[in-house]
Amino acid sequence: MAIREDKYAVLFKTISYTVIIVLTIACLLPFLLVISASLTENEAIVKYGYRFIPKEFSFEGYRLVFKFPEQVLSAYKVTTITTVVGTLLGLLFITMAGYVLQRRDFKYRNAFSFFIYFTTLFGGGLVPWYILITKYLKLTDTYTVLIYPGLMTPFLIILMKNFIRSAIPEELNESAKIDGANDFKIYYRIVLPLSLPGIATVGLFLALAYWNDWFLSSLFINDQKMYQLQFYLYNIVNTIQFIMQMGAGTGVSLGQDIPTESTKMAMAIVVTGPILLLYPFVQRYFVKGLTIGAVKG
Amino acid sequence: MHKPQKTVSLLLTVLLVGAALSGCSGSGDKNDGEASQGASPSASAKPSESASASPEASGSASPSGLDTSKHVELQFYMLGDAPKDLGIIQAEINKMAESELNATVKFNYTSWTDWDQKYKLLLSSGQPIDLIFTADWTQYQAYAKKGAFLPLDELLPKASPKLQAFVPQDMWDAVKIDGKIYTVPATFKEYVTNGFVYREDLREKYNLPVPKDIASFEAYLDGIKKNEPDMQPLSMNSDVKTNLMDVFREINDDTVGGPLPYGIGIKYNKPTEVYSYWGSDEMKADLTVIQRWQQKGFFAKNVLNVKDTMQAPIVSGKAAAMLGDNPNRFNDTQLKMQSSHPDWKLGYYPFPLTRGFATPVHPIHNGFAIPKSSKNPERALAFYEKMVTDKRYNQLTQYGIEGKNYTVKDGYYKMIGDSTSNGFGREGMNGWAWRNPEFMLFDKSFDGVKEIFAELDKIQKPDIFTGFAEDYTPYQAERAALEQVEKQYFYPLYAGLVKNVDEGMKTAMDKAKQAGLEKVQEGYKKQWLEYTAANGIQ
Repeated sequence: MAIREDKYAVLFKTISYTVIIVLTIACLLPFLLVISASLTENEAIVKYGYRFIPKEFSFEGYRLVFKFPEQVLSAYKVTTITTVVGTLLGLLFITMAGYVLQRRDFKYRNAFSFFIYFTTLFGGGLVPWYILITKYLKLTDTYTVLIYPGLMTPFLIILMKNFIRSAIPEELNESAKIDGANDFKIYYRIVLPLSLPGIATVGLFLALAYWNDWFLSSLFINDQKMYQLQFYLYNIVNTIQFIMQMGAGTGVSLGQDIPTESTKMAMAIVVTGPILLLYPFVQRYFVKGLTIGAVKG
Repeated sequence: MHKPQKTVSLLLTVLLVGAALSGCSGSGDKNDGEASQGASPSASAKPSESASASPEASGSASPSGLDTSKHVELQFYMLGDAPKDLGIIQAEINKMAESELNATVKFNYTSWTDWDQKYKLLLSSGQPIDLIFTADWTQYQAYAKKGAFLPLDELLPKASPKLQAFVPQDMWDAVKIDGKIYTVPATFKEYVTNGFVYREDLREKYNLPVPKDIASFEAYLDGIKKNEPDMQPLSMNSDVKTNLMDVFREINDDTVGGPLPYGIGIKYNKPTEVYSYWGSDEMKADLTVIQRWQQKGFFAKNVLNVKDTMQAPIVSGKAAAMLGDNPNRFNDTQLKMQSSHPDWKLGYYPFPLTRGFATPVHPIHNGFAIPKSSKNPERALAFYEKMVTDKRYNQLTQYGIEGKNYTVKDGYYKMIGDSTSNGFGREGMNGWAWRNPEFMLFDKSFDGVKEIFAELDKIQKPDIFTGFAEDYTPYQAERAALEQVEKQYFYPLYAGLVKNVDEGMKTAMDKAKQAGLEKVQEGYKKQWLEYTAANGIQ
């Protein structure tokens, strides 16, 4: 019996390793292609297409990007600020909301939960939202507009609520109350430390959403110095597409040069590189946070 | 106690994996966004309602001249990306405007990302905007018809008499929609008609004919294919409607102007005859030619996936010819090509020479309007007058600061440094609309374009198409459905990828008819005939 199981184990291992290796390669190859293209002479890309090993090696792409780094740097600054501030603030609000909504002694918790849930099904749409932010809140060209709309999402609130409910038994609240803790103290001395794994997940969600956001920049930011990183990149690609689509009849001529293929790729590496390197290290903490939650109880 | 926690942590792991994967699917998200934006045209297609709800602040000023007692900040909106040095220019402009008009201006740029959607939002949300760019390709006619802009007829003599006198009366007449002026047209006369662009050095080398029409162009491409097997004869990309079909019709089918929507055909010489180009023998003949080009390998089989600009392969020597481009862009392409390959030559043969007439751009083509939501329409117009007619304002916003951004030598414009180091290139603010021929500075290379223009001037005829303002509200739903059908069934035909042209056309026509082709064409035809009758076009 034991031997047969071993056989299966080996088989299982071989299959799972192969699948994972294939998947890993599928994920890594495009990145390699981008790196190689960023190091290739632009003429060579145009002539021979993309290759894994640069046909004509050149740092020209990076040289062009770093010739005037202030745009990339300011985009980095904006994205970092919005990600850090947005994630911290968002976590604070979401955990508080989740905590309140799961307390049994909060009479209208179901009504409020439904109200929050309702917004996931029905929304005002793009135009009213745009009018609200530009006309009534007057948030164009501010950091607030980059942070505020993404601060709380119904999905994350509900997730947090359910997590807190399962991780913290009601009795814990009661005993803390008997010991003389008020509601806020229960929140930050008991609920927060116990729901760390949940916080890690929600935090990751928030951080990813902020890091990847470009739409808010696109709609509400006019000042080029306040573009988010993703929008900065996206806009370059879009400008090229615009030139491609506008027929000769429009007579549109653009003064600026179109970035070459290798510059585009170099820019992609400069923009995504740091977060790529950071991700594996940070992710370890998330996994740790998750397992702590799983073992306890 | 154990069970729920296990499920929760399992759930979290699944979510984490989901989060990690969602990082990779950026492009998918984009499409979703576009789809949902496209799905709500009803909300945004009625700028008139929300716009007219905003207060009209024009009545307060005294009737004689301009009231500048109150300081105002004007919001100026232009498409595209702002130049790097915009802040410096804006400060300089504001110094002058502050003392002369008691106004400051803020130049805003939409960037090219989703510009059409943002343009719609700017006009429909009612946020205060004082000046905005208009063009035929930003749907000026449709927006004006819906009441998105303020009529300027009464404002002009009061706020900007100089500007009113500067723009010739026939141009003011030409931009009128339903009898009212809604935009200040640009007065610079140019041609954006297409012409064959081809490698002249190769033509000489292999003794090929000069492309003058579709037949000689095909002969030229044949020669390239035979003699330069590694080269792609024709540069083409995925936008086969704009870059292949519309251009092809311009040279081959005597179209009145374009692009004509919904498969409609109107000939310049018979403007009152509206027929369906889709399904006609004319279309079949055109598509057969394109299919033959595809089969001969003039352009790539995967053309619908090519995302290059049309010009890039010409510059790098990958392709030998373009079906059509305007004189200005031909000149740019030639310059770029020769900077890396001085021994190559590029030729240009304008379509108008073959067609026998050239239409200069319509005044609607470039202009600035005052949206309904403007709080200071008079001051906005007075400021715009300065931008156009005052040399200091005009040259500052077109070319930057002399000595810092550019120099003038022998009457020619010369940029200091190159386009990456210079913070304000020529027409860096995309100032196509406030070009003033008296103050314009040209790069030496523009002489080539001027020559072509001079040639076209000799055979010029008026543009009778662009003045037409279509109102598609009666057939809006069918119009959207038709767009889908065109993408799905007509694009492969345009790209020459359908083996049997007859059958392909039949299927496409069936689908188009189901989508409401006849209703849309009838509606368009009715409006067009009203327009031609009203303007005495025959």
